[in-house]
Amino acid sequence: MADVHEVPRPRIATGHLAQHIGRPVCFVGRVEKIHPTGKLFILSDGEGKHTTVELSEPLEEEISGVVEVVGTVTNQATIMCVSYVQFREDKSPFDLEIYNEALKVIHEFPEYFPFG
Amino acid sequence: RQRIRSQNIVPCTVSQLLAAEQVDETFRIRDVEISQVTVMGIVRHAEKAPTNILYKVDDMTAAPMDVRQWVDTDEAGGENVVVPPGTYVKVAGHLRSFQNKKSLVAFKIMPLENMNEFTTHILEIVNAHMILRKNLMSASRVPQSFSSAGISDMGGYGGGGSLPVNGLTAHQSQVLSLIKNCPVPEGMSLQELKLQLHNMSMSTIKQAVEFLSSEGHIYSTVDDDHYKSTDAE
Repeated sequence: MADVHEVPRPRIATGHLAQHIGRPVCFVGRVEKIHPTGKLFILSDGEGKHTTVELSEPLEEEISGVVEVVGTVTNQATIMCVSYVQFREDKSPFDLEIYNEALKVIHEFPEYFPFG
Repeated sequence: RQRIRSQNIVPCTVSQLLAAEQVDETFRIRDVEISQVTVMGIVRHAEKAPTNILYKVDDMTAAPMDVRQWVDTDEAGGENVVVPPGTYVKVAGHLRSFQNKKSLVAFKIMPLENMNEFTTHILEIVNAHMILRKNLMSASRVPQSFSSAGISDMGGYGGGGSLPVNGLTAHQSQVLSLIKNCPVPEGMSLQELKLQLHNMSMSTIKQAVEFLSSEGHIYSTVDDDHYKSTDAE
């Protein structure tokens, strides 16, 4: 499988998962819950809607706060995570709601914010 | 071709930089000339060499972009600290292309301390490119001119504006319009016009009638007080 980091990964919210099945995406959300096995966690987007993120290997660390996930959308509209990064919030909290509004803007004007 | 140069530093996505076309020494993104740009993304790779640090910066819009930061080897004690992979950074630099491969030469690379700046940046990209494109479009548009073809009477035009349309002022258009629409065989009288056009003095109406008549839009019928339009019904 080609390296997912070498291709465009549209930034999406939970509502867009269905339109991206089988495709690489970038999802930013707040950690709501981590499965005891560490192979699954739930993120909420800026509108509070939940997305399930799956991992091929269990998490090796405790994650919390806002996380940015890169992965592919599965047929079940979950995200198969390839990599993730925790947004730093040591100096300021991240406004996920405003980020969600920004997503609406970039989806409305793909000619000024192209993915690919 | 209209050349709109951006004197400012333009926020861009990596995908926009990769799509930029090079013409001689300049780059254009959809016809908008760019030179100094800012990008924000996550460092995927960092490699330190004696004279420069090579980063690969990823903003999700395309594959990570090469960003080179030259190190001043003469600078005493000024050692550039390498930004570790996994860090979100803001890069300011110049777009370069070598052997068809694009890269950035950075004059500034800074870790983002507040991730809300990233949200602002993506909005600034849309805003900047939209404005630059609008400026480009309006600069090349031919100034609007009033064409005489196809514009008929200005029945709905209120007030006594003097802006000529069709070569006629608003007053003249109003008078002509009334005369045109008059069904009576002997045409419209000046008195009738005065009754209909409350806002116009008799002398204004007479001036309008005189002008329209001399231009051939109307002609007098039974006497100098009655006029019909020369336009066929």
